Amino acid sequence: MTAPLPGGCLCGGVRFLVTERPMGVVNCHCGQCRRFHGHVGAYITVPRETVFFDADATLAWYRSSAKAERGFCARCGSSLFWKGDGNPLVDVAAGSLDQPTGLATLRHIHVAGKADYYAIEDGLERFPADAPEPP
Amino acid sequence: MSEMTAGAKAGVERVWTGGCACGGVRYEITAQPGPISFCHCGQCRRQHSHVGAYTTFPRDALRRVKEDTLAWYASSDRARRGFCSRCGSGLFWEGEGNPNVDVTAGSLDEPTGLCADRHIWIDFKEDYYDLPDDGLLRRASTDPDNHSKVES
Ligand SMILES: [Zn+2]
Ligand SMILES: [Zn+2]
Ligand SMILES: [Zn+2]
Repeated sequence: MTAPLPGGCLCGGVRFLVTERPMGVVNCHCGQCRRFHGHVGAYITVPRETVFFDADATLAWYRSSAKAERGFCARCGSSLFWKGDGNPLVDVAAGSLDQPTGLATLRHIHVAGKADYYAIEDGLERFPADAPEPP
Repeated sequence: MSEMTAGAKAGVERVWTGGCACGGVRYEITAQPGPISFCHCGQCRRQHSHVGAYTTFPRDALRRVKEDTLAWYASSDRARRGFCSRCGSGLFWEGEGNPNVDVTAGSLDEPTGLCADRHIWIDFKEDYYDLPDDGLLRRASTDPDNHSKVES
């Protein structure tokens, strides 16, 4: 599949197009994702220069750690992006993509930071912290 | 009274706390929060950018201790969603005239001691994930109990 991935926030204040298709979706169970998304984070990772904005008037950034920022819509509160300082890649939250995506979920990361109110029971690969870099 | 109900009543002694990632919004819950429901509706998917996870309980049991950065978005004619305008954390869902309020499970401080009981709006699920084989109830928009449960 080579179709680009359009997406945006709940109110439409942020709209974008991702022109490179990722390998799939990675679920992140870290405490920061949990607060930001209100539950598990689910992200695709793509080169920054392959994300094109059609609308970004309501896009705001929050410095969530010394080395990273999270992007969200200041009008509707949609939790959209994760960007590490100096990282040529950007993470785009999977739920912000228009349906159908044609993507599949690949793995779980930071499962050591999982909350107690749910279980991971889909049989996908799990990593206690970051996943090793793909070859 | 069943043993499970007795356990839930005993849990009322506890106060649950939670808030956003930056600390601009903090809250306390003074009633037993209902079991977590996972919401697969399109609005939760956009706002949380994945599956929504909520606990539901009477509104008067929610006390917002700090709300300097709390913002609301009218997500429909009859409901609004509360989030932190500084860090973007998703926090609340309030339906007009609804005596209950929904609070995101992920905003609760750990350990929550809560369990999940159902998936709702499953007919609106996205294609990039499968529903886990977790034994929880599965409810679609056509089911009468396609909503989270409140402790009674
Ligand atoms: Zn928006
Ligand atoms: Zn905040
Ligand atoms: Zn929902």
